[in-house]
Amino acid sequence: MAGSVFIEIDLALRQGRFELAVAARLGEAAAVLGPSGAGKTTLLEAIAGLKRARGRLMVGGELLQDTAAGIFLPPERRRLGYVPQFGALFPHLSVLRNLTFGRPHRRRGGADFEALVSSLDLEPLLVRHPRHLSGGERRRVALARALLARPRLLLLDEPTAGLDPLRARKALAGIRRVREELDVPLLVVTHGQQEALALASEVVLLDAGQVAAVGPARQTLLAPRVLALDPERRWENVAAARLVRHDAAGGTSEVRLDGGEAVTIPHSPDLAAGADLVLAIDAEDLLLATAPPAGLSARNAVAGRVEELIPVGTSVYARVGPWLAHLTPAAVADLDLAAGMPVWLVAKTHSWRVVAG
Amino acid sequence: MGAVTSTDTVPLVLFTVGVAAAATFLNLVPGIATAWVLSRPGWRGKTALETLVSLPLVLPPTAVGLALLLLFGRTGPLGRPLYERLGIDVAFNWKGVVLASAVVAFPLLVRSARSAFEEVDPHLPAVARTLGHGPVRAFFEIELPLAWRGVLAGTVLAFARALGEFGATILVAGNIPGRTQTLALALYQRVQVGQDREALMLAGISALLAAAALTVAEIVVHRRERTLAE
Repeated sequence: MAGSVFIEIDLALRQGRFELAVAARLGEAAAVLGPSGAGKTTLLEAIAGLKRARGRLMVGGELLQDTAAGIFLPPERRRLGYVPQFGALFPHLSVLRNLTFGRPHRRRGGADFEALVSSLDLEPLLVRHPRHLSGGERRRVALARALLARPRLLLLDEPTAGLDPLRARKALAGIRRVREELDVPLLVVTHGQQEALALASEVVLLDAGQVAAVGPARQTLLAPRVLALDPERRWENVAAARLVRHDAAGGTSEVRLDGGEAVTIPHSPDLAAGADLVLAIDAEDLLLATAPPAGLSARNAVAGRVEELIPVGTSVYARVGPWLAHLTPAAVADLDLAAGMPVWLVAKTHSWRVVAG
Repeated sequence: MGAVTSTDTVPLVLFTVGVAAAATFLNLVPGIATAWVLSRPGWRGKTALETLVSLPLVLPPTAVGLALLLLFGRTGPLGRPLYERLGIDVAFNWKGVVLASAVVAFPLLVRSARSAFEEVDPHLPAVARTLGHGPVRAFFEIELPLAWRGVLAGTVLAFARALGEFGATILVAGNIPGRTQTLALALYQRVQVGQDREALMLAGISALLAAAALTVAEIVVHRRERTLAE
């Protein structure tokens, strides 16, 4: 399915002085990124039909609105699973009533109640009331509630906002898991690059209501023009991986990246061997060596080749395969770095973070 | 004197409570609807409607009564069709008392219910819509249950206000014992004829009725709060 167009957006909306104008064609896993005030949530609400935008919107081959043709499906007929920030559970209803509130669209098989409850570990929550749930639990219930209505597309607004890193990681893993199990397309609004890369293969970058860039996630975010938009931003390398084994005595866990490289991360006993993960490492924490490193405490070294040197502000990003390492111009000069040079990427065990798992 | 008073007083109280209940009931649907409409953010004409709704709260009740008399009198723009088509005449009968009390009490229900609707997180009805339910279902299953307390508080306030309505009522319906006379009107009449003790007793009954209504509302609201907090 990757690469095919699933969502065609051509919407415009004016709210006071703010003007949103977005045209983009996206696949089944896309993220909307941008600074606060860029119009990300407004775009999501316009897609859900909750805000009346002008223009045209197609999702999964069905026309949801076309102002020129006088078509505007109301939210209840769009079959879009909207999960606002913080979940927006109905506070006067139990978790079970929240979950069954939706009217399932029967035209297509989808989330089965029992399976979803077990997959998101909701069984112990069913009789409780939303106010007694933690932030992470609320998100899970809200996600399940949206999925049980069998939407053609999930719209998630900042699914990890306000969660601590561990809960955020579990939440992202949950979204990845049900997405895979149910094969439901996804459009996620986020301001975090690692979240976008963990959930989506395409991104739309919004700035002041306009599309600043759109395209395949990594490629788009790596474009020098996009990097230059916010020179202060720390680049986070994000990679999918699988847990291989734990070494409790050594304080490490071994994972295998999607690219095949073995990497050690801090001991993470809560993850099971074979678990699917998403890892992140800051570009600032990746070192470059021009010779095979020896005599270092850092336990990870991966061979590669410099593909590109991208100057951004007063520093330089060296791209090695899918990785970006952050360097000073002085370091580039000292090592005589140039595109095409073989290098080794070096990283400490503790520089790796699990962002989903 | 005591026996005469008590036989007079019972129908008086029943009439007053009945009229106030009818006025409150009459206000319920339009009041909640107006409150909901006013709780929607920014639309043209909102300020005008707001002003119109709150007007009876600040106008002299007698001015409201005069306006009602002009509008709903048999020759008035609303009264004429009401009389000619439905045979309903409001002037100087119980229907006029209900109408006057309803109009004066209306803003109290609307204002309280409106703040309650404004406090409902707008994401909640929005999510209900995306889950496949129309706006009516979203209102009755999400917004109304969540705004319930404010709506009830407004309803009780309106009822209490209707119990004590005087100025508009006397203009529209007059002060006819056994026909349009409520507690408040009877109290005024007793004072005028010098029956101060009886007037005082009627004032006491009015105070008791209003206090009872407010207490019942308070208890219900707090019980609801407790069950929600458990």
